[in-house]
Amino acid sequence: MVKRFKNGDKIMPTITANYKDLCQLIGKKLSKKELEKMLMFVKGELDEFGEELKIDVKETNRPDLWSAEGIAREIKTRTGKTKGLPKYKTIKGKISCTIEKSVTKTRPFITCAIIKNVKVTEHLLEQIIQLQEKIGTTFGRKRKETGIGLYDLDEMVPPVFYKGYKNSEIKFVPLEFSKEMNPKQILREHPKGKEFGYLLEESENYPIVIDSENVVASMPPIINSEKSGKITKKTKNIFLEVTGFNWNTCNTALKIMSMALMDRGAKIETVKMIFPKRPLYPKKSILTPEFGTKKISFELSLIEKISGLKIEKKELTELIKKAGMNPKIKGKKIEVEYPDYRQDVLHAVDIIEDILISKGYNNIELEKIEMDVKGKELEKTLLVDKVRDVCVGMGLQEILTFNLTSGEKQKSIGEKNFVELANPVSKEWGVFRKKIIPEHLEFLQKNKRYEFPQKIFEIGNTLELDSKKETGVKENESVCITLSDKSTDFNKIKSHLDSLCKAFAWNYSLTKKDLELFEKGKSAEIKIGLNRGIIGIVSKKTMEKFGLKEKTAVLELEF
Amino acid sequence: MSELKLAEELSEIEKTALKALVKQKQLTFEELIKATKLNIDSARRATEWLAHKKLALTKSKIKTKKVLTKKGLKALEKGLPEKRLLKTVLKEKISISELAEKASLEKEEVNAALGENKKNSFIAIENGLVSATSVGKEFSAKESEEEKILKKIKNNEKTENVSGLTERGLIEEKTVKEIKMELSEKGKKVYELLKKVKKRTFVLDEQVEPFYIGKKQPYVQFLNSIRRKLTELGFKEMESPLIVQEFYNFDVLFQPQNHPARTWSDTYQLIKPKQGRLPDKKIVKSIKDAHEHGGISASSGWRYSWLENIAARIMPAAHGTAHSAKQLVKGVEMPGKYFAIARCFRPDVIDSTHLIEFNQVEGFVVDKNLNFKHLLGILKDFATEIAGAKKVRFYPDYYPFTEPSVQLSAKHPKLGWMELGGAGMFRPELLENLGIKGQAIAWGLGIDRLAMFKLGIKDIRELFSDNLQWLRDSKMVIK
Repeated sequence: MVKRFKNGDKIMPTITANYKDLCQLIGKKLSKKELEKMLMFVKGELDEFGEELKIDVKETNRPDLWSAEGIAREIKTRTGKTKGLPKYKTIKGKISCTIEKSVTKTRPFITCAIIKNVKVTEHLLEQIIQLQEKIGTTFGRKRKETGIGLYDLDEMVPPVFYKGYKNSEIKFVPLEFSKEMNPKQILREHPKGKEFGYLLEESENYPIVIDSENVVASMPPIINSEKSGKITKKTKNIFLEVTGFNWNTCNTALKIMSMALMDRGAKIETVKMIFPKRPLYPKKSILTPEFGTKKISFELSLIEKISGLKIEKKELTELIKKAGMNPKIKGKKIEVEYPDYRQDVLHAVDIIEDILISKGYNNIELEKIEMDVKGKELEKTLLVDKVRDVCVGMGLQEILTFNLTSGEKQKSIGEKNFVELANPVSKEWGVFRKKIIPEHLEFLQKNKRYEFPQKIFEIGNTLELDSKKETGVKENESVCITLSDKSTDFNKIKSHLDSLCKAFAWNYSLTKKDLELFEKGKSAEIKIGLNRGIIGIVSKKTMEKFGLKEKTAVLELEF
Repeated sequence: MSELKLAEELSEIEKTALKALVKQKQLTFEELIKATKLNIDSARRATEWLAHKKLALTKSKIKTKKVLTKKGLKALEKGLPEKRLLKTVLKEKISISELAEKASLEKEEVNAALGENKKNSFIAIENGLVSATSVGKEFSAKESEEEKILKKIKNNEKTENVSGLTERGLIEEKTVKEIKMELSEKGKKVYELLKKVKKRTFVLDEQVEPFYIGKKQPYVQFLNSIRRKLTELGFKEMESPLIVQEFYNFDVLFQPQNHPARTWSDTYQLIKPKQGRLPDKKIVKSIKDAHEHGGISASSGWRYSWLENIAARIMPAAHGTAHSAKQLVKGVEMPGKYFAIARCFRPDVIDSTHLIEFNQVEGFVVDKNLNFKHLLGILKDFATEIAGAKKVRFYPDYYPFTEPSVQLSAKHPKLGWMELGGAGMFRPELLENLGIKGQAIAWGLGIDRLAMFKLGIKDIRELFSDNLQWLRDSKMVIK
């Protein structure tokens, strides 16, 4: 439960926002310290502070927080500026969007809204594009589940249609291009087509948003048309659509986008969605967006049970309202009404966390856990530590290398059949080691300049494929000892093995065995019960492979 | 110090080196080793000590030397790319597109290798098929000029013009320090006086040869101290295998199968093995129910259809909580405290703050009645016991398997405020469906920054240091 999200990890949304703009949306100029404190309400961390802010929002389950508008909205509610359920009202519009049967197999759902009287500023544009992108990537699973499109309404002639076309039936100029292309060409040649084309790869019909004069608006979720698919500072009215596979998910995204625009003063008009025949679709037609609520009801006592706090009814009501919800206490039960875009609420505990966040984690007193239990290490840990003690007693320096290594390195001593990664960051770390020995030879190579004799050991895991195990992998505990200097000979390494085994009363036997890694005639297999190991003098050929000069002997043993 | 006294106090290796110097007047370090047969470390010590006593004067000179690059070493071992290509097409015609694989060349090497062979008429290309010419066949058996040069450089022999090979990145120039020793007047006198010295005087403050003792790896020592502290706090250690089923890494922890964290961007997947076995059918069913509709808990669940074959996939453990999940499935003692120091794996860019293989300290506390106040309490204990911190701060956080969730920051006496860990109350969907009647507090500690502080290192990669001298010189980690 330790976050490591800084490098290349795209799970947690990082939101860029303009400092002045964010303060304006909140309605108060906040100092850095105040802002940091407020960001607790969105599980946010200030990554960069300046004219432009970078905020890591750790709440990966609440897309409504992934914009400056969303962050400001939450802060305003939590600080009591606006309390209870957020109030977003729509105006009944005249435009309709018809979903045709031809698209149901490819990407069945579309949901739309009309945004009127938008004052497109730089900040709005930046935030809307960012929110569209974050929702599409994270919440929409790289546009697979949901993709969002915005258009200049004044470049379209409604009503609008959402239809499926065969490749040969349709052509349009995609965004940032100047020639007409058919869907297959777009997927092949347009950068967005290349990036997201796999989403439509297997479809017979391509989904197209098109207006009443047969002018294409877009091919969701890939690319808009050059004609209407561009929002600029001149845009006054916007047509907004979300496409995908799940009606609820699409509508959540639509509402979140609409709210952000409304927070900046735009008016939202509904669009009449006209569906083909059920069963896939909820009704014949429906007006979107529709801001609804959901209710969850649970025992009041659960709050005390989970939080450990006795909260008076009045305070409780206040705390829940500060979380943007409306509570109703009925006897021993409480019913909480919350906005339906809050898809993260699955259980009463989700509400209880919101209560605690309103209360402030740092305002809650701590309690010690009193438990009559004894700590204990694993038997295996105890043994590992004792083997370590014996090795240290033999005057060896412990080293630590990685379990992930290169298959090439492992193969160079004759190993094969590894537990192998499908997506390694580099070939250098492509397999799990089967033997520690190659890591030690490489270690010696890096340390040739230091004083000899070099005597090292390591205790670690070695992995082999084994279908009898529940994971298909047998994980061994192994010890590897490596001695290197000119006086090294077989008896010296054997005496290490002998002392190690005597210290644990392990009865070992050696059988002569020639291995690629070792000098001919100077190696053996070690057997102790079911455990196996190898011991020997490293051959000239292996020494050359690893660039070693001083005579080297190794032993590696499972225990 | 008088010269006589100096002579009386000379050690054996110093005498040997001095003798060689008197004979030769001037010696490089390598020549000294040759002349005296001292081992490299004794020779180094003798040089240092003689210079310190001003019995010898040392001069160092920077020289450049040609050495093989990594690419050069590979070329020497496996043959130059053009030679490898030529050898591949000796017996059969091969299409250009297959060359890279058959000659085991990098894609960018193929074109250069083709060009080189074409230039010398060693190969012919017809309809995209490459074959060796008779000249090429003859040439392939011989050692080329380039190969001769590479060999010479490897053996430190003199070579002529190598500019072509430098351009190809097979050879590079390296600067080396050459140390020359010269006998001083004082040294000469002391050597003369040696004849009068019958017995060496005992010297108390003389430098002694280092004695490299056996030692535990510092990071191992650190992890062991953490382990001891946790057992002292009453925690039992859990098994923590490197390879787990997705079932434990994700599903038991109520992470839906279409959760973005399960995609390629932040966990490793395996080619071999691919599928493992799931536990008891009843448990699998209860996890399926939890995901689909909340199971026996009062939760709506994630509302999708959960697939067994996704859960049975095998992966390297991406977080230590996977082991807590397995312990919960196996069964727990009530009350109980559990922990694991787990090796975890995530694809990442390796740099001074990131490893793709790292340790996580994770665990949980389970009892009939545990609440959020206890959770904050145990985090405070960790901050005090593990990081020596007096002050703590809590931040709301998010984990798919806990609610409420907390991030712990602690004020370390030297490092200041630091993110020390994360924690939360396991979700009821998880506990109730596994038949655990009570609450469980899950926690994890980020100890790498602490380890780096304790070991005095700035780069996280040094936790797995590959520098023997650093390891030999490292101090013991006491607590």
